[in-house]
Amino acid sequence: MTTDASIEQTAARIQWGRLLRTSGTLIGFLAIIVFFTINIPNTFLTVANWLNISQQVSMLAVIAFTMTIVMVMGDFDLSVGSMASLAGIIAALLFRDSQPVIVGVLVALGVGLLGGLFNGVLVSYVGIMPFVATLGTLTMFSGLAFLLSGGETIFGRDIPADFSGFARGGIPVGMVGERTLLFPNLTLIALIVLAVVWALLEQTTFGRRLYAIGGNAEAALLGGVRVRLLRLIAFMLTGFGAALGGLMYASRVASANPTQGAGLMLDAIAAVFLGMTMSEEGEPHVLGTLIGVLILGVLDNGLTQMRVDSYVREILIGAIIVAAVTSSSLAKRGR
Amino acid sequence: MRRLAVIAIVLCIVSIGFGTVAAQDAPSVAVITPYLAQPGTQFLVEGFEAAAEDKGWNVNVIDTAGDVAAVISRIEDMVNQGVDALVINVDPAQVEAGLQIAADASIPVFGMDAGSNPLLVTNVTSNGYAMAAETASYVVDRIGCAGRVVMFVFDPYPPVQKRGIIADAIFANCPDIEVIDRITPDVNDGGIADSRAQMEAVLAANPNTGSISAVWAAWDQPALGALQAIEAAGRENEGIVIVGIDANPQALDAIAAGGNFEASVAQDFSGIGAATASAVERVLAGETITQSVIYVPTVLVTNANVGDFLDN
Repeated sequence: MTTDASIEQTAARIQWGRLLRTSGTLIGFLAIIVFFTINIPNTFLTVANWLNISQQVSMLAVIAFTMTIVMVMGDFDLSVGSMASLAGIIAALLFRDSQPVIVGVLVALGVGLLGGLFNGVLVSYVGIMPFVATLGTLTMFSGLAFLLSGGETIFGRDIPADFSGFARGGIPVGMVGERTLLFPNLTLIALIVLAVVWALLEQTTFGRRLYAIGGNAEAALLGGVRVRLLRLIAFMLTGFGAALGGLMYASRVASANPTQGAGLMLDAIAAVFLGMTMSEEGEPHVLGTLIGVLILGVLDNGLTQMRVDSYVREILIGAIIVAAVTSSSLAKRGR
Repeated sequence: MRRLAVIAIVLCIVSIGFGTVAAQDAPSVAVITPYLAQPGTQFLVEGFEAAAEDKGWNVNVIDTAGDVAAVISRIEDMVNQGVDALVINVDPAQVEAGLQIAADASIPVFGMDAGSNPLLVTNVTSNGYAMAAETASYVVDRIGCAGRVVMFVFDPYPPVQKRGIIADAIFANCPDIEVIDRITPDVNDGGIADSRAQMEAVLAANPNTGSISAVWAAWDQPALGALQAIEAAGRENEGIVIVGIDANPQALDAIAAGGNFEASVAQDFSGIGAATASAVERVLAGETITQSVIYVPTVLVTNANVGDFLDN
């Protein structure tokens, strides 16, 4: 009996250690929520505000979710931000050319797939390091966006109301006073992308093989995994997600500008890294990425509502990312 | 990881203490822009903040570092927070989603050199017509209402088109002024290089001393291109008068150098900021503003006062 009890105790201790190592970021996130709830008592923890936050992070979320796919293999895609801008420009130019909304959207998404294909070929068949290959395509896509648009912002009558109205619309879910509460369309898209990426990475052979490549590409290759093809497909999916995120952005601002997606890339990578601190093996998982995205979005929303200076806000957000990754790696080293 | 959790929990406890300090009776106004890093925007915001400080407001300046969608997000956050007024410095057409949310919540939004939009109470900016009138009448006065003038215009862009139309009218009012060329330069290279090439062609077509009296440019870049062409052709001593608009740093240097580039017009950015603050004050006091645009006077910059601008 005593031996059994001590085994149980040890097992319990291991469970707790494991929980703290992997849930620290989640606990930190919940603490941030508590912090803002106390400081902004009337408006932070409301349905309207959380629907706002979900809409505000939706573009970043889509790009970060699909970025997770390549990061599972230990790769990067630095070109997602300029692909997002390029997709917006291409759709807007087609709209200006009086093409229907669906044509503009599909062509822009197709360009995302093609751009991802190009990245994938460079990384997986030519064998260039992802950092270098996608740094190159970052510049190419951005240059192309400038070339096609002539450096201008495309807005106003050129952008059809059907397209810009999408980002303002949603499914009515209730009333707050006089106003109808909408479940935003952009949030819905982000949730769909989340579900698809989760199913793909966690529930399919494709996903398991990507994790195998991330664990040890050589071993995966020897084990019969078609590493090159899978890598190519993963980069295509990331390119597609970048284009989708860019279209969501263009819809939200009812305009397209050749630089508007630029800021999304680093935030997406930061979100994936934040998520990685939640996994025992330090692997990216899309649900972790979701928490990472939410941490960034909630900090932006809460600190703005607390009227923290924008520059201080940036320093705080950066410091929290560093703190999360640092403490996670310290905890793992001390294991 | 435990450490982060502990830090966060400590923060929560500490925050209970100062959580309510910010709540005061003074009106709170948020200024939201993606362009705070640009010098013009900084003068706008400083002008606004100085005026707001005198009025005792709580001002929160939010910079989204070039991200226009984030301007919408921050408008949503500030509306949610129940500020008394919002001031934006960004093209209102791009943030209409946010403006609509502010309108639904009955929070007034003011444009500070932003652009006109029905969802804005008003937009405070400089008057493009007046700026062109300043430089065109400077030219008319300098050449005694008589001579041959080259114009650089850009009609595809409305804010610049309205400058050209005023200069046309002022030159037409002098029977002895002949506009020998009305050039629309290619602006893809920034506007200087093509303007220079076009001016070189005009100089070649009018080789005699005194055959060109003045160059009127609707903004500074073509004026700078014309100056380069005139100097390269060795015709800087013929008394050709060059004027531009905007008073950009390069133009100020050229004016200070005392050559052919004699005048430009500077927008009073800090004055626009201060005028925006008084518009906000009027609305908070219950007044209805009917002017959809409020103009702040601009300043003609010549060799006599260029020193005031170079110091900035």
